[in-house]
Parts: sequence; structure tokens; C-alpha cells
Amino acid sequence: MGRGYIVEALVEQYLVNLQTVHASCISGILIGQCSSQRDYVVLAAQTPQKDCGAVRGCSLGDLDADWVTEHGRQVSRMLPGGLSVLGVFLITSPDLSKEAQNTLRKLVYAMEKLISMGRLWNLTEEDVSERVGLHICSKTKKAVCRTFDVRDPKSSARPADWKYQSGVSDSWPVLKCSVDLDLYFPLSETSSENLENSVKIGLQKWAKQMESSVCLINGKHSDSDAELLTGCLCRPPQMSSALGEQRSSAAAEACGGSLTLAGVLQCRAYLHSHKLKARQAIKRDIMNTLSSRTEMFFEDLLINEGDGKMASQQPLPQRVFAPLPGTSLSLCDYMFPDEGAAEVGERFKEMLDFDIPEEQIDMTQEVITGKFLCVRKSPTVYASYS
Amino acid sequence: MVASDRSAIILRARGSLELRCLLDGTDGSHVQKAVSRAFERVRARVTSQALVFRVRDSPMFIWPNKGCQVTEGIAETTACKDLQQRLRSGEPDGGKRSSKKKDKRNGDTSVINIDLLMELTEPGREAGPTLTRREVRHHLAQMALPVDCVVTAGMDDGIGDAFSRLVGALCSQLTDMESAVLRHISGTSLLVPQPFHFHLPEPTGLVTLVYPTGVPDAQLESFRKEMHVRFALPEDRPYLRRANAYHFPGEPFKDGYLRNPHLALSHPALEDAKPFLVQGVYSYHHYMQDRMDDSGWGCAYRSLQTICSWFQQQGYTERVVPSHKEIQQALVDVGDKPSSFVGSRQWIGSIEVQAVLDQLLGITSRILFVSQGSELVNQGRELASHFQREGTPIMIGGGVLAHTILGVLWSETTGDIRFLILDPHYTGGEDLQLVTDKGWCGWKGMDFWDQRAYYNLCLPQRPRAI
Repeated sequence: MGRGYIVEALVEQYLVNLQTVHASCISGILIGQCSSQRDYVVLAAQTPQKDCGAVRGCSLGDLDADWVTEHGRQVSRMLPGGLSVLGVFLITSPDLSKEAQNTLRKLVYAMEKLISMGRLWNLTEEDVSERVGLHICSKTKKAVCRTFDVRDPKSSARPADWKYQSGVSDSWPVLKCSVDLDLYFPLSETSSENLENSVKIGLQKWAKQMESSVCLINGKHSDSDAELLTGCLCRPPQMSSALGEQRSSAAAEACGGSLTLAGVLQCRAYLHSHKLKARQAIKRDIMNTLSSRTEMFFEDLLINEGDGKMASQQPLPQRVFAPLPGTSLSLCDYMFPDEGAAEVGERFKEMLDFDIPEEQIDMTQEVITGKFLCVRKSPTVYASYS
Repeated sequence: MVASDRSAIILRARGSLELRCLLDGTDGSHVQKAVSRAFERVRARVTSQALVFRVRDSPMFIWPNKGCQVTEGIAETTACKDLQQRLRSGEPDGGKRSSKKKDKRNGDTSVINIDLLMELTEPGREAGPTLTRREVRHHLAQMALPVDCVVTAGMDDGIGDAFSRLVGALCSQLTDMESAVLRHISGTSLLVPQPFHFHLPEPTGLVTLVYPTGVPDAQLESFRKEMHVRFALPEDRPYLRRANAYHFPGEPFKDGYLRNPHLALSHPALEDAKPFLVQGVYSYHHYMQDRMDDSGWGCAYRSLQTICSWFQQQGYTERVVPSHKEIQQALVDVGDKPSSFVGSRQWIGSIEVQAVLDQLLGITSRILFVSQGSELVNQGRELASHFQREGTPIMIGGGVLAHTILGVLWSETTGDIRFLILDPHYTGGEDLQLVTDKGWCGWKGMDFWDQRAYYNLCLPQRPRAI
């Protein structure tokens, strides 16, 4: 008995439309939510064209696996808590059906590896480790669905059920919270230029604290049946994650400088049922939104500033939300200071293959104070993290 | 406020607050300024709306600085006793354990344990995250402050009031910690300040002092002298050493040994007699403990261990209770035994006990010789006086057995006497019920002794020091 996939009817529509583009190999990703029994697929998005106007390749050999998985990685940044990239789909002609299975296997494992690389958290024993590889034959329209256990690359694929249903995400409650950040990253004397590394180390510590924090939902610690609305996080302000790691003294270490990160993160998680691991979902969203943004920030710094040098003060990209048509869900994106709704719209089109009118993009959730860069002369004294 | 009052309740808040000192320079004044500024920030956090109290073993969360916002149906005006009631009824064993033995020993003082948390979803600012870079070379010293403060509240006091006092206690403790850190800076190294609670004689009650980790008690004597004066404490016995710290009811002892099992007993009825008992705290050491099978030969060693545990827990020594081997080695070191003694199963007596107490702990002891067991009946005054003046457990050896005397019930008029005995020959586990029911710790009469054997008693003397 394999896994079951409950798929939004709109996804069926999308996949059918894709198939009408004849004689080509189409790849893409599937997005939704895992649960112990079955997964829910709410969105499918084809891999974006590499070059504008180029004709899509007809053979699987033309498929650029790196490009496909990179698409998956970038899309996973656009997913709020509870949603993740569930797997890959391939639409091919009948003669490639067998080869497609091998390709699907490669893509699924490679995608999972790439996406989990930048994460600040790890899958636990209780997490579902099966990812889906869906093959659709462009001639017979037959869909073959198999799952791969990403924890065991040597395991064989298992057959899975693929069923369409409308209104899959209709009554999914949403959990929201805003998280205050006040982080300090010391820069060592010798490598004070390697900002990204110092930030990575600091974020790992922060993530550990996040994982150990207490989450109250609607003010309650234990799970309740009430519809989820607000999440509230309380953290035991411990510096060392291991108890009993009590040092008897603190020696001053020399630093070449420091970075501070302060502000509020808007976080969100969707859950198909209130019984799901709401706390885990929102915590993961908190960690993801920060790691995604800092990654993007440094990627951007490298591209634009060349030498990777940062100005005295720069905001991280701002989180914006946009509704997924036909569902009650919103996806997100990150907007740099010099961007606007138009750029966000373009990205949604390119990455997720759907159009969103500019006015529907919600940029009000987070506020960046001023899009200018200001130079601070006096040492910035931030309240310590506790 | 008085902690042992039947109508009092202790609220204890514990947590770990991060202290981050940014030093612009490494000379004295820079360090001082940085430390003070860092503590200022911690105090600000503690008085902010982000502070959360979590009542241990319960689903209750309280925001003491937000008008005492709470979860789970309790309000600012809820009385402390009602809060305690809710906690008790929520206990997994239906509150069975909080009956009889514990309450009997602690006079109904109960503790509400609270953990300190900081809310992350209480934004202090509204803007999205911004990265700021500071290029100035500086030094960073960070540590986790082990905050632990208590307030005593009346049963009928509202919890809102009690919690805001707890916040006040947190702030004062931070100030005390700041003083301790500043007083013990060496260069750019900061010592972690550690709070200790002491239960001082009435009417003072519970008092909290902060000591720097790593500085031994011996070096803190002048500070203790000041405190002895401040709290009007006797000048000749320790009250404020780390070992004297108050043991909160309900907290398990990390080492697992039973403490003061005699407190679970009631005195036998003896006409016109008064009890003269050991003062303070000791641990019960007996056969088979610590995976050491000393059954048949180790009784005096165990009695000695009980005595050592007394000196350690009263703060006279920082030395842990010695093992059989260490005891034997000490006797070799003083020339009393040949080196082959170590690792053997040879008995020791009161003279050896006296020698080891001197060698390892620097404790002097008096030896009392009784030519026959029946003579012990005449030692009432001597023993009573010992317990009054010294209050230390006594090791008694004679015939083929060694025991520990924890007290006497003695009548000055009739001369009648009973002995409170702690028996090291017990081979079972640390079960208070069993130990007291079966008389392993119990009151004995003269018939307990071998009437014709001679006995030596080792009476350890309490040093006059703080």
C-alpha cells in the first residue's frame, strides 16, 4: 500500500494544458503539504525556460537537471510554512516512459539535496521522507505516480495513488506570527570580511534556540481544537544549547567588527488540519524566512557589489505575499529595496507560472524603514539577545 | 517575610539571561563601563513586556510586565493558595506525594517554581529586518547569567502582586550580580556570578547572595563577615558558605543519598526527658552504596562517611565524602597503617576515624572511652552536652560493630536515656520508609549495646569559623 496524493483539481487543469504543447519533454515541480498518511498537492509549476524563445528539447538528454533542481530551490523560498516541494513531474512521449523513471529518480534526490542544503533545520525521524515522481505520458495522458525515500537512496520506488479533488486547500487554517529579531554576529579579527560565514554561524545558534522555544497557539501550550490564529513564541533565553555547559568565566575575545540584525519577521504557516504539527510548521517557517533572506542578500551583494562589501546598514529583502489563484493559500516572495510589485509579479510568473495582478500583491505585512542606506557613525548599541 | 510560616509560599524564578559586553578598550574603566551597560540592557529586558513567567509543570504562562496578562483562567487577583491548589491538582500522581512525609518535614512551606522566558513575538520595533555593520575593532565577552530569585508571599496574597515583586527581585539580583562581576574582574576575564539562597534563623528567613564562580569560600571570608554582621548571625559557625545553601523542598538531591532520615521519626515517650539531637544536615551512608560491597567490614567507614557528609553540608569543608580507599590512604599517609592497608577489607575503629577526620578535613575529635556497654547509661549528660554544643554525629565502635549516634533522649532527673542510632549495616536502597520502619534509623534503648564489651566514641568537634 503506497502513499496517497490528494491533488487539487486546478493542478490537473494545469497539467492537461501543458500536455497540449506537443512533442516536448516538460519538467516541473509539485508543491503541497506532507502528512503521515498522505500528501496534498496544491500547485504544479513547470521548469522555466532557460533561454527565451528556445524550443524545448524533445529528449530527456536535453533536460538540464541542475536547472530543474535550481528551480525547485528558488521556489521553496517562496513557500510559507507547511508547504514544501513534494517532488517532480515529467511529461514525455510514450517511448521515453521508461527512461523517465530513471530521470525522475535522479531529479527527486538531487532536488531534495539542494533544497535541504541551506536549511537551518533537519528532517526528524517523524517527518515524511517520501518524495513523489510523477510521469505523464503525453499520448495516453496516463499518469504514473511513484515515491522515493530520500533517506535511502538505494531503495526502490514505491507505487503511489494520485487522485484529483477540488477545493483541497479550502479550509486550511493559517497560523501567523511576527518574530522580533535582535541578533549580534561578532566578526573575527582575521576574517572580518567574511560576513556571510559569520552570519551563517550565528544563524545556526539562533536556529537551535528557535527549535527549543515554546510556542503558544492562541495563548495555549497544548494542542486545542480551536481554529488557529495567532502564534506566540517564548524562548528560554539560553546562550548555550547544551545544559550543564556552564562556564565559570567569560574571557573577552577580540573582534574585528560586528553585524547586528534587528527587525520583525512576518511568519506564516498553513496546515491542512489543526491536528498537524502546527508548532513545527511555524518554527520552520521562521527559520526558513530568515535563512532564505540572508542567502538572497549575500547572493545579491556578490552580484551587484562585486567585492561583496556591504554598506553600513542595509535592509534584508522584504517579505511580500500573493494569493494562489483558486485557493485560500498565499505564497510569498522577497523584494529588494529597489524593486516593486512589477518585479514580484514577474517572478511569480516565471517561477510558478501564474499571473498575479499587481494590486493583489500584499506588501504591507513587513515595513522597511526607508529604502535609503544610512551611515552610522556612533557604535550601535543594541539590547542583547536575552 | 518568613519562609517557614505556615501561611507562606515561596515563588522561585530561574532562568539564564545572556549578558553581552562590548568592550571598546581593554583597560579597567572601559571594561567597567561595558559591564555596567550590558547589565543595564539585561535589566531593561527583564522589565520589558517581553518577559514571561512559565509556571513549571503547568500550562500557565504569565506576562508580569504586561498588566499580568495570563493564560489558562487565572487572574491577577487570584490568591497564591489557589494557584498552588491548581498546581497540586494537576500533578500526575494526584498530589499523593505532597502529603505526609514531605509536609511534615517542611512545615507546609511550598514552592512554586517558575521558568523565565522571553517572548519573541512581542516586537519591540515595527520595521523589517535590517543588517547593520559596525567596523570598529572591539572585544566581546559574553556569558549566561544563572538567575535564581525567590520571593515569599502570603497564601492570600494576589499573584499579580507576588509576580511584580518577583520582577523586582530579578532586578536586584542583576544589580548584585553586576557588583559581584565588577568586584572580581581580572583583566578582561569576567567570572560568572552565581546566586545562593540561605535560610537564616528567624526573623530573617530566606536571603539570597551572589558569589563569583571559581572563587573558593576561603577567599570570600571578608564578604561573609560583612554579611554575618548585616544579618546579625553568630560569629563562630558558618551560615553563608556555598554548602549551607537552602535545599528547597521538592528538589531532589543530585547524589541520591537520604538526608536526615531521623526527621521522619517521632520521639519515644520518656518521662521528663529532653531530646538532644544532631544539628544540620547529614547524608545516610551504609553498606553496599556506591557499588562498594563492604558488607561485614565497612561499618565504621560508613559512619565516618556520614560524619564527613555532615561537615561538608554545614560548609566546614569543600571536600567531598571520601571513599573507602581514600580513607585507607589517609591512614597510610599519617603513618598509622602500612601501604598494604589500601584496598584491604580491614576494620577501623574510633581512633582511626579521629585520625582520618583530622587528616582529610582538619577536624579535631574527642575520644570517649567506656569500659563496658552498661556504662553508657551514665553518659547522658556528656552526650547531651555534645549535641548541644557541637551538634555533630558521633561514631561509636565496640564489640564487633560500629554505629552512628545522632542524638539522645535524656532525663536529667531520672537518668533514663534513649539513643538515636543510624545503622551503617543496612544493605538496601535509599528508601526512607523502609529505613525508618525497620529501625535502621531509630531510637534504641540500653539493650542495644553489648553490656560487657568496651566502647570507644569519636566525638567530632565543630571548628569555630564562618
